[in-house]
Amino acid sequence: MLRIVRASALLIGALVLVSWWLTRPQALTADDLPQHEPDSVAGQAVFWAGGCASCHASPVEGKRAKGEAKLRLGGGAELDTGYGVFRVPNISPHETAGIGGWSMLEFVNAMQRGVSPRGRHYYPSFPYTSYARMKIEDVMDLKAFLDTLPAVEGGAGDHGLAFPWNIRRGIGLWKRRYLTQQNIVELDSVEPAVRRGQALVEGAGHCGECHTPRDRFGGMLADRWLGGAPNPEGRGRVPNITPGGKNLADWSQSDISFYLESGFTPDFDTAGGSMVAVQENMAQLTKSDRDAIAAYLKSIPAIE
Amino acid sequence: MPDNKYRFPLFLAALALASSVFADDDPRHERHELMESVGEAAKPVGEMLKGEAEFDADTLLQSLNVWKDVGGQFGGLFPEGSETGMGTEAAPAIWEDRAGFEKALAKWQAAVDGAIEAGPDSLEAAKPVIGPVFEACKGCHDNYRIAEE
Repeated sequence: MLRIVRASALLIGALVLVSWWLTRPQALTADDLPQHEPDSVAGQAVFWAGGCASCHASPVEGKRAKGEAKLRLGGGAELDTGYGVFRVPNISPHETAGIGGWSMLEFVNAMQRGVSPRGRHYYPSFPYTSYARMKIEDVMDLKAFLDTLPAVEGGAGDHGLAFPWNIRRGIGLWKRRYLTQQNIVELDSVEPAVRRGQALVEGAGHCGECHTPRDRFGGMLADRWLGGAPNPEGRGRVPNITPGGKNLADWSQSDISFYLESGFTPDFDTAGGSMVAVQENMAQLTKSDRDAIAAYLKSIPAIE
Repeated sequence: MPDNKYRFPLFLAALALASSVFADDDPRHERHELMESVGEAAKPVGEMLKGEAEFDADTLLQSLNVWKDVGGQFGGLFPEGSETGMGTEAAPAIWEDRAGFEKALAKWQAAVDGAIEAGPDSLEAAKPVIGPVFEACKGCHDNYRIAEE
């Protein structure tokens, strides 16, 4: 009898150890940071490409921030999803309320490994699964830019998630399966514009987070890349933006680029929903970057 | 076959029935049609801005005049009782915040008037006066139109 108890205890102990090990946050170390002088001007372009303001800018009187208010990154917006409510944190340079006290390494680990300075997993509602594909230098530039923005007081409460999603440690397993720095699409084209577009769309722009459907664990279905998905925030669908989708099939490359710049479709309808804020971010990029995104979207596999 | 003298009244009755079914004069239908014409008029202007078509001052003026005409009618097409139905994309905010809606519409009208007055004769001159027109389109859609599903 005692032997059975002892054996069971050992087994349970071993299981705990293995799962603890399997779910541990895996962070970069100081040696992984390249020699790079962070450039806040370059970081500003990364900021708009990354769409940071769309979630992190503090709402103004209950509405999404516009103009200069987009640079006040006090958080506080809520994302009401099927998993529960995610509350967006303060990423302004405030020493205590925001991320002003973070080192460069801590920032890079948050952005590209989904690990907080205290060594906890972030939920992938923060799209580090996309940001993981960015060049580390771009992430470093971004921090330099964020450091120039106004410090904002206050912060968000905890996420309100249902079991089992409320167990953060479980994200460790999820990351093992879904967190990768690999490109998503194997491109035939070696055109620099298409490659640049790939970096923007698959990396900083994190377009796939909404436009790609997910499996039941919330991982993106790579073989349905940008093929349209249910709206994570409610009714309706996020459109298919591959060459096979009815939304974009008839759009020329310059139509896509013009849409990202102006917000107007070829029929002169305007962007709606969350895409309004995304388009405003894209309007801040250079024309050559918008053209690159368009070139990439025309080069990816068509999803019917 | 009805008697000849009833033909015309019957025809009128049928027409009346048809129009009540298709509701051509329903404000929800009218405002939709007007909005479509705004979009149609924007296309040639967009082509110029995209560099797909040569700048043409007359074409631009034509479009501006379509918008001016629509701008004058549009505000009256949102009476009580037309909040929903017929696939309208009008947001409840139009009725909840009528003053805000009218202000947004007035902004568009002012931008259109400004562009007509400026009478740009080149793409470079046109861009800064068309910009506010398009911005006003978006500004209003952003708050007073239901996002596409």
